[in-house]
Amino acid sequence: MARKRNEEYIGESDDGEFEEEPVESFEDPEGFVDTISDEDLLSDLLKKKPCETDGMENVIVVDEIPKVEPARQEKLENVIKKLFSTCGEIANVFYPKDENGYTKGYCFIEYKSPSQAEEAVKVYSNYRLDKTHTLLVNVFTDFQKYENIPVEWTPPTPQPYKPTVDLYSFLTEPDAYDQYCVVVDNGTSPSQVQFWENSLPDPTELHRKDKFTEQTVKWSPLGTYIVAYHKQGVAIWGGPQFQRINKFPHPGTTHVDFSPKENFIVTYGSAGAGGGSKVIIWDIRTGLEKRSFVADPHAPTSLFRWSHDDKYVASMGDGAIHIYETETFYLLEKKSVKIPGIRGFAWSPTDNIIAYWVAEQTDVPAKVTLMEIPKKREIRTKNLFNVADCKLHWQKSGDYLGVKVDRFSKSKKGGQKDQDVKFLGMFYNFEIFHMREKDIPVDSVEIKEPIGAFSWEPVGDKFAIIHGEGAGGCNVSFYEAKKGQKVSLVKKMERKSATHLFWSPRGGFIVLANCTQGVFEFVDTQDFTIMNTGDHHGAFQCEWDPTGRYVATGLSLYKAKDDHSYYIWSFQGRLLRRVNLKNFLQLFWRPRPPTLLSEAQQKEIKKNLKKYYPQFEAKDRLRQTRASKELLEKRAKLREEFMEWRQKRVQDYENLRLKRLELRNRIDTDTLEADKDNLEEEIVECLVKEETTLI
Amino acid sequence: MRPLMLQGHERSITQIRYNREGDLLFSSSKDSKPNVWFTINGERLGTYNGHQGAVWCIDVDWTSTKFISGSGDMSLKLWSVETGKNIASIESKSSVRCCNFSYSGNQAAYSTDRAMGQDCELFIIDVRTMDSSLNDAQPILRLPMKNSKITSMLWFLDETIITGHENGLVSIYDTRMGREVNSVKEHTSVIQDMQLSRDMTMFVTASKDCTAKLFDADSLVCLKQYKTERPVNSAAISPIYDHVVLGGGQEAMDVTTTSTKAGKFDSRFFHLIYEEEFARLKGHFGPINSLAFHPDGKSYASGGEDGFVRIQVFDQSYHELVFE
Repeated sequence: MARKRNEEYIGESDDGEFEEEPVESFEDPEGFVDTISDEDLLSDLLKKKPCETDGMENVIVVDEIPKVEPARQEKLENVIKKLFSTCGEIANVFYPKDENGYTKGYCFIEYKSPSQAEEAVKVYSNYRLDKTHTLLVNVFTDFQKYENIPVEWTPPTPQPYKPTVDLYSFLTEPDAYDQYCVVVDNGTSPSQVQFWENSLPDPTELHRKDKFTEQTVKWSPLGTYIVAYHKQGVAIWGGPQFQRINKFPHPGTTHVDFSPKENFIVTYGSAGAGGGSKVIIWDIRTGLEKRSFVADPHAPTSLFRWSHDDKYVASMGDGAIHIYETETFYLLEKKSVKIPGIRGFAWSPTDNIIAYWVAEQTDVPAKVTLMEIPKKREIRTKNLFNVADCKLHWQKSGDYLGVKVDRFSKSKKGGQKDQDVKFLGMFYNFEIFHMREKDIPVDSVEIKEPIGAFSWEPVGDKFAIIHGEGAGGCNVSFYEAKKGQKVSLVKKMERKSATHLFWSPRGGFIVLANCTQGVFEFVDTQDFTIMNTGDHHGAFQCEWDPTGRYVATGLSLYKAKDDHSYYIWSFQGRLLRRVNLKNFLQLFWRPRPPTLLSEAQQKEIKKNLKKYYPQFEAKDRLRQTRASKELLEKRAKLREEFMEWRQKRVQDYENLRLKRLELRNRIDTDTLEADKDNLEEEIVECLVKEETTLI
Repeated sequence: MRPLMLQGHERSITQIRYNREGDLLFSSSKDSKPNVWFTINGERLGTYNGHQGAVWCIDVDWTSTKFISGSGDMSLKLWSVETGKNIASIESKSSVRCCNFSYSGNQAAYSTDRAMGQDCELFIIDVRTMDSSLNDAQPILRLPMKNSKITSMLWFLDETIITGHENGLVSIYDTRMGREVNSVKEHTSVIQDMQLSRDMTMFVTASKDCTAKLFDADSLVCLKQYKTERPVNSAAISPIYDHVVLGGGQEAMDVTTTSTKAGKFDSRFFHLIYEEEFARLKGHFGPINSLAFHPDGKSYASGGEDGFVRIQVFDQSYHELVFE
């Protein structure tokens, strides 16, 4: 800029009357205003310019500390000192006091270096000293900064609109094809991830990302995002091109959890250099940390569980449940729920009800309790005796809660001491809570044999149990919980080899899987017919697609050293597709959000299914014929190419006929019947059966 | 139709061969006694006794009079098919791996292993004189194989020999000039077996790299490829249809640690041109080591590591199968 102006000036002088020798002038012309500040020209140098630090950067202001009388001041000072000296050596502390000698509720702390002050701000901002005091920590120099804020408010300039990625494009697929992703460890870490659409007649690959994730991936519960793990943290991806939407820096993240409505994401990872583990809850949209918890390195990290509407998140502590409100991430009503002896809890998938169970204590039976949140009111309690362990199983629609109770039968107290308890084997109870009925009645089902698996029908009233063991295999029993009736056994399938149960997400159908051998039985639970038995040798993964139309089974690198593959079956157990993929790791179907149609609309569609049926049928047929046409064309081309080559070679063969005859004494051996003279017919009688008859 | 189970060997089958008419089936195994069977009913006609070790390879000439076998006892023996008498026995310096009669049956080729300080060598002998004078007769040709050992072999008429090697190489040798004419390396592992089509214009290779490939017998251009998940030990081309059958499975050393299902010991049928698998046949409980189509194409036989030879006559549905 400056140069240009100079040139202009010189030009002007040429137009003048004086024929002056053009001397290059470096002087600023008259009236020239330097529009460029030193800042623009030399900003990099100025930054390095040495200047005095006034020491103000070392000072922090701690606000919201308790106001105390002079007698208790020393105690307060000790507490504050202990806290803040973790960030560095404290050089000076000052507590301003009012005329009565009470502290004013804030103090100044001076560190040795600005970095320590910054660290203290980072660590102790929003630190909860006790129930009523949450510290606010700022660097002292910040006050100067905020003082300079102009009084007049100027509206911010509107930012140009940046189009965001359409996160829900996958739902607008006209044929409602489902998507799935396949993780492959192709030797180079991180692993490759392929995104497929399960289109007909053959799936289409949408996208392929090399070096996508460090270990595995995870879909969010509504299918909007997919998580990739990295050394530095996790990233979520989405949209039609699977772009990166956000990242959450948390080194050493091993596990990720979404809140059910996809507002929050929880990362479980390391707490940094000091060791131990840390749990961070993030806001998915903003990418900001909402709250973090540093766990004791020796205790297992407690899992955070979400209420169905994202309003609360709860974790279990020693003798208490901590329930946090997600608006503030403070404890609900500022205190934990004290439950001495609590062993496990679970949220209802559809209501804000927590079920938890408490172990047996001396003279107090074990019990399972349902608690309403946020009122913290106990709505149902069931006492249980001789309990060894409990497992809480909510049905997906929240209609029932099944509690699997492991019990020891008749513990006889031999001798005088209580320690001499004799166990006479175990038996098992299922306590079924009917959530939708008045007063929540509880039913009980007793099973004497060991339980292999338990699973609720996600939509419906049935549950399935694998029980028993032995040479003949195990049994699979189906029970039904009807409204106003006791739970009853509807079907017992004996001598099965199943180890796992996989219900269709829409209910009705179930896969009895033997995950050690890879045998999958597809059962229709309406009449309990085994529709088909599929064999995918060694497969141990089994996943229903979110619509309940397909099942994927997989055998991966985790279990076998070769034959890695995944199969896709129809819900009737018909094998649709077999994919052999070296170093295949996992397959995950992309979840779908629940339908937006009301129940009446769904009913309407079901009623008119016959009307839609021919349309879909026609569409399928068209697709099939198109595909087979393509295949036929491909084959025709191959055949043509091959035949062209072949004709030439057959010609060669014919040309060599004389030579062949010559080599074999002029006997034609080109075809079996060529040489009539040499053919000898022989009639062979086969002895089929030998019988000896005694006369 | 139920297959014919030929039980006669005490150890795993190494090779099976039909004679030209297909009325006889010859089989060799590691138990040192090659057998010959009637293919019509699976009755055993006889055995060829004399070897001291595992028999690796066998062949029968087009007239079904001469039979040769090569063995781990470091000998190649020539037999009379009809009487089972041992006519000649040629000593070698190491195991005999492959042996084949030429088209005319006047010559035979055999190859020896690279073992005990010996290089792999290719020999061609004249077998017109059917007597023990062969024992000491000089070979017509003796070719040392410097780079890689021969693991399978084919004659093309009486002039050229196609060899398949341990490193996956396929070469053509001109026997009169005694040198290599052409070679290609399409496979990455041992070529276990090679078989010509009926008109001798193409041949199929079976390799441990889990594939079988179809080659032009003259130019060695690889025409087609048939992929599986297991090592392929043998492959054969149907004489009447555009079909290829592949046999193999889990490597023999791993068999004891895996179940039959995981081993994949099925015979697998592929379409010759489209490279698509269209059928599988179960039966063996060990890997299949050798396969052959009956010359009339209406049945095929397989010999396995389990010691059984199975002759399977195709059902009517096989003949009715139409590939559009």
